[in-house]
Amino acid sequence: MLAGIRILDLTREAGFLAGKILADLGAEVVKVEPPGGDLEGRRGPFLGEVSDPERSLLWLALNTSKRGITLALDSERGRAIYRSLVKVSDVVLETEPPGALTKLGLDYESQRQAHPGLIHCALTPFGSEGPFASYRAHDLVTVAMGGNAALTGDPDRPPVRCSMPTAYYHAGPEAALGIAMALFARARSGGGRFVDVSLRESQLSTLMTAPGQHAHSPRVRRRNGSLLGRSREIWKAADGDITFALRGGQARTPNLKATVAYMAEAGMAPDWLVDYDWAAYNLNSASDDEIARLEAAFGAFFATKTRRELYDQALARRIMLAPCNDAREILDQAQLRSRSLFTTIDYPEFGASIEHPDFFAKSSRCRIGIRSRAPRIGEHNAEVFGEVGLSAADLAALSAEGVI
Amino acid sequence: MTAPGDGIFAGVKILELGAGAAGPVATRYFADQGATVIRVESSKRPDFLRMYHLTKDGPHDLDAAPMFVLMNPNKQSIAINMSLPEGVALAKRLVGWADVVSENFSPKAMAKWGLDYESLRADHDGLIMVSSCLFGQTGPQRMYPGFGGQGSALAGFNHLTGWEDRDAVGPFGTITDSLSPRYVALLITAALLRRDRTGEGQYLDVSQIETAVYSLSEMIVRCSANGEVVGRRGNSSDDAAPHGIYPCRGDDRWIAIAVMSDAEWRLLATEIGDPELADASRFGGLAQRLAQRDEIDRRLAAWTQAFDAHELMARLQAVGIEAGAVLTLDDLLADPQLAARGHFEVLRHDRLGELQFEHCGIRTAAAPAAQLLTPGPNLGEHTNAILRDQLGMDDDEIASLAERGVLV
Repeated sequence: MLAGIRILDLTREAGFLAGKILADLGAEVVKVEPPGGDLEGRRGPFLGEVSDPERSLLWLALNTSKRGITLALDSERGRAIYRSLVKVSDVVLETEPPGALTKLGLDYESQRQAHPGLIHCALTPFGSEGPFASYRAHDLVTVAMGGNAALTGDPDRPPVRCSMPTAYYHAGPEAALGIAMALFARARSGGGRFVDVSLRESQLSTLMTAPGQHAHSPRVRRRNGSLLGRSREIWKAADGDITFALRGGQARTPNLKATVAYMAEAGMAPDWLVDYDWAAYNLNSASDDEIARLEAAFGAFFATKTRRELYDQALARRIMLAPCNDAREILDQAQLRSRSLFTTIDYPEFGASIEHPDFFAKSSRCRIGIRSRAPRIGEHNAEVFGEVGLSAADLAALSAEGVI
Repeated sequence: MTAPGDGIFAGVKILELGAGAAGPVATRYFADQGATVIRVESSKRPDFLRMYHLTKDGPHDLDAAPMFVLMNPNKQSIAINMSLPEGVALAKRLVGWADVVSENFSPKAMAKWGLDYESLRADHDGLIMVSSCLFGQTGPQRMYPGFGGQGSALAGFNHLTGWEDRDAVGPFGTITDSLSPRYVALLITAALLRRDRTGEGQYLDVSQIETAVYSLSEMIVRCSANGEVVGRRGNSSDDAAPHGIYPCRGDDRWIAIAVMSDAEWRLLATEIGDPELADASRFGGLAQRLAQRDEIDRRLAAWTQAFDAHELMARLQAVGIEAGAVLTLDDLLADPQLAARGHFEVLRHDRLGELQFEHCGIRTAAAPAAQLLTPGPNLGEHTNAILRDQLGMDDDEIASLAERGVLV
């Protein structure tokens, strides 16, 4: 879909996904690493548990469809080559601290004179300006300051984050969207622009307008373990966790009735529940005792069934219940398999094949998806630098000087 | 505030059929940047968000649900009774008006009305249409009803959140509802760019769950490559120690601290002033700190609890340590950085009074964020104006449709 768009991707881990999305959508993304590789981004765990930056699974997962070069931006020669690469690019995508590229003379303002159509996207923890612009943050601090942590976790322990970096997962597609918006604006007006994306601010959307709701009708909200609303939403099955909500309303009532029918067939629905008036039920106005009574009845039933049994029956009976899958179970999901979500990439030098989630959207017009594996360190140096006129002899000299 | 028509998407016309968060949040990106976004709704089967009310004594009707109003600013609403053939025909005429149709119903709905892409494209070859239900348009579970809570569970996020020795808790919110809209908006924008170039429209089938699994590519790849099943592990990390959330002064106040290098650890040990922690032979290297993280966490917590979370954040950030107060909803509303970025913008709603609307994380120029002009619409608020201005109907035609019950 984005064929022909050229992107220089200078990102560290927080921005890998943004570049990957654009690359999987067809843009020509060149990943720029320092000579020797981005060792922080090429960290473990490693393929086959062999410590080697080429085997970094984080790197392999999040840099698909990109070409890769090495370039020392802290050398004058490296910066000159960088500027020549910018000239043939549409977009620069970077995650440096605000001001870092200015010190190198590589910021948007210094490039736009020579290249008025350039789009420069800076993905930073808090945005490129403002009182917290210089604050540092990886995922944990971003999630804490994004309001999600305060509402997540058990009440008797500290707030908690997801064990995978959700801040990057929200900001990545938002940065990609910001770039696409700028490309759309450029197609209409001709000019490029600076796109300023904040990791923390992207994360705020996980709150689903809770700040605005709170400003309107203040109430104390605290993290409450598996009780995501007033009642429990994660339950124990015989062999692990499932999700199920005791929420009422038109869209959910049929599923509550179907669950009770399922319980009744197993002889586990008390009489009062069989005749329950779900039309009159409202989770927000139900009494604590009422919710406790419902939770006890449903919870006792779920505990007698395996997750497999419950999910099979949920699908058959249209009950809104699902297992809390782990990675292996996700890889085994029939629905995802039927849509060919996973694609296998071979890594012949390691004798390995790995399944990756492919870009998921199905287009009636375009082939969308992973086009190539993540690049090895400097894999495309000759090709990419050749495109800006450097010869093999130039590259050998630059390599000897430590510039590439 | 900028005038309408100034946004990036000025002139783009989007027709939205759908409910809840996932679809409507996606089209907001366009509504906030000058596009005309029309929601097709009906009081016969209202968007369930219109039925979420926060208080028992507040206004209690379809036009006074704060979550709906906050999620749908800048949009217009037309009421169409889709159970009547005339209603469906009207919706089809609006498709002719639109550049983009975005819908997130279950797969059977659009086909039942004859509003599936194949039927629509016959008269409208440049049409861009996106469907974004939970499971996607194909596969054995495509008709299964679902909300974001199931999406979060099926895609792995519930399993990944909580403490190793406790039940899963899941991240607050319904994460497929916050992840999928930005992908949907990106795909619509990419399709618009391509249509500008080629004149061709396209149909895009997006599964909300798949957007979440794609986001978790690292976890899937680690499992496929090494058989590793990533679990929930509180706030700890293999790449940093300390890496956690620690108590501060006050009721349920906390600070997140992430020490990403040995140099940062030396800075923190200096701030704490504990000579034992400053002992490089015991705690100087990451491997040492990971091995003793429980002890470090205990000592760090004993130190942080004497401080105000905001003050400690400012002090630690000033010396280059990643620290962030765990912000509450009240904190966010008063946050100086969010204020500097214009994150919140107040609009008045005729039933709910002043409301704090939020912007997304993107700024495409120096300022302001985008253009908030109107709160989420009342159901059918723009019915007559849309029929008149977009479909060229006169008052008699509109009255006749209303009489036959089409416009509810």
